[in-house]
Amino acid sequence: MARSNPGGAGRAVAIAWPAMGKKALILDGGLDDGAVTRGPGEIAADVLRRAGWRVEALVLREIDVAPCLGCFGCWVKTPGVCVIDDPGRDVARGMVQSDLLVYLTPLTFGGYSSELKKALDRSIPNISPLFRLVRGEVHHVRRYARNPRLVGIGVCATAPSDPDEEELFETLVHRNAINLHAPAHGAMVVCTTEDDEVKRERIERAIEGVIGT
Amino acid sequence: MSDEGGRVLLLVGSPKGLEKSHSARLGRMVADRLEGRGWTSEAVHLHAAVRTEEGRQELLDAIDRASVVLFAAPLYVDSLPAPAIRALEAIAARRRAGSVSRVPRFVTLINCGFVEPSQNDTCQWILRRFAERAGFEWLAGVSLGGGGQVPKRVREAFDILAESLDLEILVPDEVERLTRKPIMPSWLYVVGGNFMWRRWAARNGAKERLRDRPYERVDS
Repeated sequence: MARSNPGGAGRAVAIAWPAMGKKALILDGGLDDGAVTRGPGEIAADVLRRAGWRVEALVLREIDVAPCLGCFGCWVKTPGVCVIDDPGRDVARGMVQSDLLVYLTPLTFGGYSSELKKALDRSIPNISPLFRLVRGEVHHVRRYARNPRLVGIGVCATAPSDPDEEELFETLVHRNAINLHAPAHGAMVVCTTEDDEVKRERIERAIEGVIGT
Repeated sequence: MSDEGGRVLLLVGSPKGLEKSHSARLGRMVADRLEGRGWTSEAVHLHAAVRTEEGRQELLDAIDRASVVLFAAPLYVDSLPAPAIRALEAIAARRRAGSVSRVPRFVTLINCGFVEPSQNDTCQWILRRFAERAGFEWLAGVSLGGGGQVPKRVREAFDILAESLDLEILVPDEVERLTRKPIMPSWLYVVGGNFMWRRWAARNGAKERLRDRPYERVDS
């Protein structure tokens, strides 16, 4: 899997997207040594490459992204750009310039790990502060005309996974897709203990459901 | 807890900390009501606590002392701010390791900048799963919308919540009834909110740049 952050913490993140072709950005929120997410991430990258996509993967634990300050400066002072000048800006840029985002995370109480979430928190410059109604509910207006599709892959380190947490993970990705204006989305949970072929089939099916075949 | 009073631990998961955050203000409102009933309280800012091993240990020790943990945080992208999740990961790892025996009661206060308190539901679900996995007794998840407004009925809900915590009874449904209703119609919140955002940007000289697209794709 191509990794875009070999320089490690503190360095700028360089994502070299080609001018043409479909681009997928995998955000790997694996904790510790990354053992839980590594396999599913490699499968997802392989599936996408075989489908003709250009794939970049960011191993977030190796990137020094400061926590969001909650200051709203990215909306009302420097619209579209976080006030914190660190690699979090590069990640946010890479996200909005991709055609597909893959949120890859250890299933963490049914949600995202802290490593994935630190990047997502810093991506709010990519939407507008202004409000609109979506099916009667308040959400933010899109900033960009084109926004990436979204696939969430939660990785459960124990088997079997908890059905309640699987449903929660799918709901979370669905809610994110509304707020991030993703034109298509899907989510699934795999277990580290599953057979590799089974994992591949399931990940392939989830990705194809979002990108089309 | 009428004899000797309990101990409430306020965990604040907002980057703005114990002094300036709306989350801390909301949590303090409940903690103050418990102190009025003879409880003691302490507060921990999770963003600060997770930065160091010493801070994480102090957080875990504070949990071991608490009879009620009151978790107050803002909604960030349908979930919690990353450092708050980091704290949950650390707490769960420690408690799953089996080195603790107490089962504190767990109450959450999640507030969001949308008008509908229901937009916090996914975040509350995550917190409930955390409580179950980390050995807490889940009592209630209180969700607030409206970006910082605290109407009288919410203060009434806090009265009821504090009383039920003190008496060690189930949190009455009345708390949810009083907090679940949006403070105004959604369409009105959109109008008022957009006025506020434009005025805030204007004060920073950014009103005309509000719709800027600095990361626009070159192949668009």
